[in-house]
Parts: sequence; structure tokens; C-alpha cells
Amino acid sequence: MSTAKDIRRAILEKWHENLSKYGNLFSSNSVSGSSPPSIFVGSYNYPKVFVGPMVPPIHGDTSFLDTPEKWEGKSLEEIINFRLNLIRGVKKVSINQTDGRYIENLQEITMSSKPIDSDLQFIKNTSANISLNGESAPFGPIGEIKSAKFYNTSAIKSIEKVFYDKDFNAKDAVLHLYNSGIDISKIQKCFSIGMLGEKRKLVPTKWSITATDDIISKSLTDKILNFSLIDSYKVFTYAHLGNYFSVVLFPHRWIYQIIEAWYSNDIIGFGSDIEDARGINYAPVTAGAYFAAKLGVTEYLLKNNIQSGVIIFREIRPEYAIPVGVWQVREGIRSAMKQIPIITDTLDNALTLASNKTSISKSEWISKCNIMKLIHQKTIADFF
Amino acid sequence: MTFEAKTSGSDDLKAIISAISTLVEEATFVATAEGITFRGMDPSHVALIDISWPNSAFEKYECDSDIKFGVRIDEFSKLIKRADKKDSIEISISEQNMLLVTVGKNKKYKMRLIESSATDTPLPKIPYDSKIILSSSRFDKILGDVQVVSDYLTIHTSDSKADFSGKGDSGEVVIELEKNTDEIGEISSKEDSTGTYSLEYLNPVVKAVGANAGQITCEFSSAKPIRIEFKVANIGRIHFYLAPRVES
Repeated sequence: MSTAKDIRRAILEKWHENLSKYGNLFSSNSVSGSSPPSIFVGSYNYPKVFVGPMVPPIHGDTSFLDTPEKWEGKSLEEIINFRLNLIRGVKKVSINQTDGRYIENLQEITMSSKPIDSDLQFIKNTSANISLNGESAPFGPIGEIKSAKFYNTSAIKSIEKVFYDKDFNAKDAVLHLYNSGIDISKIQKCFSIGMLGEKRKLVPTKWSITATDDIISKSLTDKILNFSLIDSYKVFTYAHLGNYFSVVLFPHRWIYQIIEAWYSNDIIGFGSDIEDARGINYAPVTAGAYFAAKLGVTEYLLKNNIQSGVIIFREIRPEYAIPVGVWQVREGIRSAMKQIPIITDTLDNALTLASNKTSISKSEWISKCNIMKLIHQKTIADFF
Repeated sequence: MTFEAKTSGSDDLKAIISAISTLVEEATFVATAEGITFRGMDPSHVALIDISWPNSAFEKYECDSDIKFGVRIDEFSKLIKRADKKDSIEISISEQNMLLVTVGKNKKYKMRLIESSATDTPLPKIPYDSKIILSSSRFDKILGDVQVVSDYLTIHTSDSKADFSGKGDSGEVVIELEKNTDEIGEISSKEDSTGTYSLEYLNPVVKAVGANAGQITCEFSSAKPIRIEFKVANIGRIHFYLAPRVES
């Protein structure tokens, strides 16, 4: 089995091979190409953050470069190559500045239904020396923008509506877009670039992803609380990108725990978070993954008009050498919920099935599982 | 439509709102000619509050047709807290569907009402085998004593004796109660009963109703919900139901 280090090295080698062929495209004082469309708001130097479009040196239909919803079945290397193709232009902007031509242009491209032909001029040549580490999601070279030009946008109507209607609060705007069938990755960009809500501001991309998943999954949970309970124990599993997911649904009023396990120098680390019908009232240690996974599983429950308790095991294997973002948890759970579940008749059996394909023993998972304590709590409805 | 209810002081209403706030964020009250009622469960359906506040408990009460009104409990609570102990509180509903709250003689608040989402919640059907009547301050102390070692309170009754216990990682505690002390009104059991209940739910509501309640009545059966009755303004009452924890 290759180690995280080997995988990182292989990806870098491939990148340098690309550079020797197309190096001038990635180390230049300009880029001309079609933005997928894509924008990025950094968190560094908050509240004066680095904001700008992402543009690959390619014209045409580049939409797949920044639409995780379309990446099912792609390998880690392929996905990272998508990311590295995107040259990120930046300008330092205060988070409160959501008007002005630069930001308005970015809002327009974010609204667009199609990739946008873009020309960016940089103050200095971008540097193609990117580095990969285990922490942040990668992207391509960065350049400080001298001027930016965008051509021919065509706005998606539902986004236009919430953008111009300032009576929508941010939460309702997110839900409106979600219910109109807009991809989460698109809604998150609108949120990030200050297009939603009454008092608008720029929101760093990584926070906007969590906020979007949180708002939507909370609203789905509120609906699910009215559904009747599932009548059996179901286990769904799915693996991609060095991540293994097991989802256990069991007859119980809404209660949700995700337990993550990862390898760090051959030691297994664990993190877990839990909520009941009252929701979560602290910042989860599993961070964005908590809300992304909750979204994936609540979508399933809503679609099937059922309520259940939920336990998710996520094993992060060493092959997940480079984190590619929280979307992979959301899409991983969505894919898991599309599989045919194994149905069983006790929680204990379900947990056995959920642990089977992981490299961690059932007893170890269960020792981290607070739900085992909580299910001893009866509900008033049990006595009606 | 006429609806007007006026209390003589503010303590009872404060206690009621505070008790409700331990379970829900939004509450729908029902007012009829007989008085005001509220019933609701917390989102996890572990606890239920059932409040009955008869017209005779008010200084002035008028209601000529049944109405429902929904409030955000935190908003209502903030406003009620502006009342001094002796201030009367008068509530009515304006034609613009606002709640009018007059605190004391001269403070007149208007508060937005929310759409009432209340569904008819039934009450759990339980034959209660055991009953303990004790002062709420004593009960509050017992909860504190148990919480030191445990997240759960176990109540056990046998004939005319009762004990409260708790067990946790750090150790355990037993507190025995004897009848015929000032603080203990009654201990009776038709059958020996043992029930375990979460302090996470018990503590806040006992603190919320507080010394206002005087004597409280706990009724329960083995592995069944407990019902705690707090008296309000002598004739009104709060019933707090809490589902048990069971070993399965």
C-alpha cells in the first residue's frame, strides 16, 4: 500500500511534468480562460481578505473543474489536477465591502449558468511553485490582480431573485436556492461572495461551506421531526478517495452522531460529535464534515418521509493523502445513501455490519459512540 | 372577541414562562373561558409540560371565545422580567394580532405573535404506584447532591420509605428520606418502584419554578415517566412529565 507521502510525491511529479509542457501558462503575468465559474474568498488576514475569481488557462466548458457534484468516481489525482488548473486571482478587500465594481463583477460571474470567458492581468508573474501538504485543500498558482475582465454572463433566475430581493434573510435565501435545485457548491459561492441576506458581507469560502450545509441540514431536520420512525435497522456503506463511510439508521427520534477515525503515524485518532432533536449547540470537533454528512443523510430521510437515529462511521485512510475539501464527505454520504442497504433487526447487528469493512474494531467504534448511552432514554411518546 | 387576563403579582407568570423555556423556544397558549393552558414537549420528546392556570387564579379574567396565541419564549420572558415582584401583568391581544402586555401601572408593551404550530399532544397514560410530596427547596438540594457524582437520579420507594441515588464514573450517592419531617409531606407506594431520570431535564425546571412552588408532588412507577406537580398561585399547576432511562 502506498503511503500518504508516496501519493503526494506522485501527484507533485505529475504536476511538474505538466509544467514542463505548459509552464508558461502557469507562470505568467496574465491568464485567459473560462472561469467554471469560480470564486474564492480566503480567510487569511480576516477581516481584510483575499478575494477573486479562479480561472484555468483553458477556454470552453470548464464547469467540471469546480463542481464537486459532478466528481463521483473520480480519483484523488484527477480531482487535485482539477484544482491545480485553477489560477486564483486575488485582491485584498474588506469583508464589509460587497459593492464596487470588482465585487459586483465577481457576483455576476457567480450567478452565471455557464463558464465565463475571463482575462486577468497580474501585478507580477504568478508562481507555479505550488506545494501540497496534508492540511489545506490545494489550488493552483496565485496572482495579485491588476485588472480583470469578464465577458457575457447569463444569470440563473433563482439566484438573481434572491440577489436583488434584499428582504430575504440569508437563511431563507439559501433555502430558496436549495429548493430551486441549485447545487450546494453554487449556493456556497453566492453565500461567500456576499450575495445573500439583508446585511451582506464576504464570507471566507471555508466558513461559507459549513454555514450552507448547516442551514440546509437544519431545515431538513425540522421537517424530518414530523415523520414517523423507520421500522428496521439499515446499514449503508460507501468508499471513495481513501474515505470509508458506514451509515446506520435505527428506529429512534432524530439523533445523530458522526465518529471519525484517522491514522497519524500509525496511531488512530478519533473525533466525534452528536446532536439530538434540539440540534447541536457547540462547534463540532469534526467541523465541516459534521454538517456535510448531516446534509447527505437528512436528504435521504426527507426523500423517504422517514425519521431515524443516525450513526456514521468515517474512516480516513492513509490513501487520503491530500484533503480535497468537505464536499467529498457530503458527496460520499449522498452516494452511500444511494446504495442498497443491508437490513437487520438489532442495533448491535447493524453496528457489526457497519464496522466490518473498516480496519477499526466494532468495540473501538462503540467506545466512542455516545448514542449507546442516549438510547437508554425513553421518550414520552413511548407512553401515549 | 374579548380576551384579558390580569395577574396580581408577577412571580407566577415568571415561574411558568421560565419552566416552559427549559423545554421549548416557541409556545402556543390556549385561552378559554375557564383559563389559560399550555402543553408541549421538548424537541427530543423526553419531557412534557402541561400547565393549567384557571381563571380564578387571576385578579381579573375575561375570555368570551377560545383563542390560541403563539409566542417566542425568549422574547416573552425578557419582557416579563421587566416586572417587579408586586407588579401586576395584564395580557390581551390587539386587533393587529399583537400581544399587549401591561406591566405594573404604566409599562405597555406590544409583542409580535408567531404562527401557532401546536398540534394536540396527548398525555402519557400511567398508573402511578408511588408518590412523594416534599418541599421544592429540599428536592432542589437532593438534585444538587446527586449531580456531584451522576447525570441521572434514581428514585426508589418501598412502603413509606424513599431514597434518591446516583451513580457515575467517580462514585455514587444514596440519600434516604424519612417521612414526618417538615420537609417531607408524604411518601406512599402501592408497589415498590424504581425510576431513573435525567438531571439534564430535572435540574432546569426545578430551578426555574424555584421557591415559588412550595410543596411539590412527584408521582412515578417503575420504568415509567415521572410526573412532578408544581402548584402555582395556589390553584394553578404545572405538570412536568419526564420519560425514564431504562437498561435494555
